[in-house]
Amino acid sequence: MTQQIELSGVNKYYGAYHALRDINLSIPKGAFVALVGPSGCGKSTLLRSLAGLETISSGDLVIAGERMNDMPPRKRDLAMVFQSYALYPHMTVEQNLTYSLRIKGVKKAEAKKAAEEVAAITGLSDLLHRYPRELSGGQRQRVAMSRAIIRHPKAFLFDEPLSNLDAALRVHMRKEIRALHDRLGATSVYVTHDQVEAMTMADHVVIMRAGVIEQQGRPLDLYDRPANRFVAGFIGSPAMNFIPARTSDDGTSLILDLPGAPVLAMDLDLPPGHAVSVGIRPEHLSLATADMPGFNVPVAAIESTGAATFVTTETTPEIVLVLNGRSTVSAGETIHLTFEPKNIHVFDAGSDQRIEVGTVLTQAKTAS
Amino acid sequence: MSMTADVYDRRQDRRPWLKRLADASEPYLYSAPALILIIVVMLVPLVVGISYAFRDIQLLNPFSGGFIGLEHFETLSKDRAFYTALKNTLWWTGASVFLQFGFGLILALLLDKPFMGRGLVQALVFLPWAVPSFLAGLNWSWLFNPVIGPIPHWLFDLGLMSQPGNILSDPQYAMWGPIIANVWWGIPFFAITLLAALQSIPRDLYEAASIDGASWFQRFWSITLPFLAPTIAITVLLRTVWISNFADLIVVMTGGGPADRTQIVASYIFTQAFKALDFGYASAIALVLLVLLLAYSMLIILLRQTLLNKG
Repeated sequence: MTQQIELSGVNKYYGAYHALRDINLSIPKGAFVALVGPSGCGKSTLLRSLAGLETISSGDLVIAGERMNDMPPRKRDLAMVFQSYALYPHMTVEQNLTYSLRIKGVKKAEAKKAAEEVAAITGLSDLLHRYPRELSGGQRQRVAMSRAIIRHPKAFLFDEPLSNLDAALRVHMRKEIRALHDRLGATSVYVTHDQVEAMTMADHVVIMRAGVIEQQGRPLDLYDRPANRFVAGFIGSPAMNFIPARTSDDGTSLILDLPGAPVLAMDLDLPPGHAVSVGIRPEHLSLATADMPGFNVPVAAIESTGAATFVTTETTPEIVLVLNGRSTVSAGETIHLTFEPKNIHVFDAGSDQRIEVGTVLTQAKTAS
Repeated sequence: MSMTADVYDRRQDRRPWLKRLADASEPYLYSAPALILIIVVMLVPLVVGISYAFRDIQLLNPFSGGFIGLEHFETLSKDRAFYTALKNTLWWTGASVFLQFGFGLILALLLDKPFMGRGLVQALVFLPWAVPSFLAGLNWSWLFNPVIGPIPHWLFDLGLMSQPGNILSDPQYAMWGPIIANVWWGIPFFAITLLAALQSIPRDLYEAASIDGASWFQRFWSITLPFLAPTIAITVLLRTVWISNFADLIVVMTGGGPADRTQIVASYIFTQAFKALDFGYASAIALVLLVLLLAYSMLIILLRQTLLNKG
C-alpha cells in the first residue's frame, strides 16, 4: 500500500518551546488516522503542520511522494475542516463550496454542478442559497465537510470537527464522516481529544502527549496492550484503575498495595521488591459471590446511567468498576470483587512503561 | 390589562390640575436638558447662520444688516472665483481622500502582521494625527520653502525640478503642497480604523482560504475587502465631508493663492468672512456647501442601503 503522508523525524519549536518531538508517522492511502491526546499535546500543531499553516523546524514531511516542508498551504492540495468550521460568512453555501474551484478557474456552470452533486451527498441541496448565519450548527458542519469534499484533495484534515455539536448529533456525525470516508476512498487525518471518537472512527490511532507520540496502532490493540501507563489511562472510559504493587521477596508474584487483594503469581523478570503499577479496567472487574476467590472492598458511591452502573470504592487508591444494567449495591456496603488475572496490565512504577508478564494466577493473600 | 386600567384612571381622574400638569409634562422635563442643549448649541447658530445668507452683513459697514433676499445667491451664481473654488474642492478632496485611504490601508495591512517592536511603531505611526493641523501646515510650508526646507533641494537633485523653487508658489503644482500635508496628517485616521476592522476578521478564514488554494491577493480580495467594506464606506464618507470642509492647511500654507489656484470653497468662505469681512456672502457660500455635502451624504447612505439590501 502506498503511503499518502509520511512524517519522519519531525520537530517543531515555538521559540524555546519544543512542541513536536521527533514525530514519525506513516499514513497509507485510504487510511483513517486519528490523532488523540489531552489538550496541549501537540495534535493540532501536527495537523496544522501537515496543512502548512505551521512550518516544521526539522524533519521531512512527504505527501503523495513529494516533499512538502516548505510548500505553502495552497499548493499542498489538502482539505481541512476546522473546529470553528471557518465558513466564509459573506458567501452563500454554494459560494462557500465552490470557492476553491473558482480560484482554480473552474467554469461557473461546472462549479455549480459540482456543488449540487456534493450537496446531494451531504444533504445540503435545499440550503445552497442560504448564508452560514442562517444555518444550524449541524448544517454548518456539513457545509464545512462539503467544502472539503468538493476538492477531491490528497487528504482530509479534520481539526476536532464535532466538538461544537451536541452529544446526539456528534454520535450521528461520527458514523456519517466515517461512511463518507469509505465512500470517497479518501485519506483522513482526524484530530480529537475524545478517545471514544478516535477509537470508533479510526483504523489507526495515534496517541500523543507533550509533543511525543506515546503509541500508535489499531484501536483495539491500544486498548488491549497499552504501551505505557499514560496510554492505558487515556484509552477507555471510565479510565483504567491503577493499584500500586511490588514484587514479592522470591520474585514470583506481585503483592498489591490494597487491603485484602489477592497475590498475583506470574513469570516475572524483576528484582524482588520492585515497584510496579497494576492496571485493571473497570469493565474487567466484577462482583463475586462470597465463596468465590476475590477480595472485599467498601463502596463509596454509585452512579447509574440505566444501562450500566459505576461503582466507586472507598479504598486508596479508589477503584471504579462498571456493572452491566442495574445493581442493588449501595454506598456504605461491602462488596466482594473479582477479576480475570489475564486482564491485568503491569507497568513499571518508575518509567511507566508496560511490563510483559506471562500467565498470571491469583492466589489468596498469605499473611505478610 | 394595563390599558384598561389606564382608561379607567383617566375617566375617574380626581387629581388636582397642578398634579395632572406635572405628570403630563414629566417625560418632557426628563428630556429637556438634552433638547435645550441641542437647540442652544446646534440649532440656534445654524438658523442664525442661515439667516445671514439672506441678509447684507458686512462688518465694516454699520448700516448693513438688512434683508436682501436671494441677492447673495445671484452674485454667487456669477462669481467665477466660486466656481474655481468648487473645482479645486473636488480636486483637493478627491486626491486627499484617495491618497489617505490608499496609504492608510497599506499601513494598516503592514501593522496587522506581527513583527518586533510593533507596539512602538503603532504608537509612532499614529503621531501625525495628534499634531494640530495649524502646526502641520506651518511645518510643511517650511519644508517646501527652498530657503529653510530640504524638499525643493531633494526634488532638484532628483531632477524633478529645474531649480529648487517653492511649489506652493507655483500655480501649476501649488495644490499638491496642502494635499501632501493633508495626506501625511490624515493617514493615521484611516490606518487606525482599518486596523481595528482588520483585527476583527477571524484568522481561521484566512487559513481556510489558503488551504482552499487562495493566493495572498485572492485572500485579500475575497476575505479582507468584504470584511472591510462597511468600515471603508463609512470612513471614506466621513473623511470626504471633513476634508472638503477642512480649510486650515490651505489657509496656513497658501492662503488660497497663488492666483486662487488653491482656493477651495471652505477657504473661500474663510477669505470672504475674515479677510473681506462680508459675513452675509460668506454665509451664502457656506449654505451652498452645506446643501452639496448633504446631497453627497444622502447619496452615499442610499448607496450603502442598496448594497446592504443586496447583500
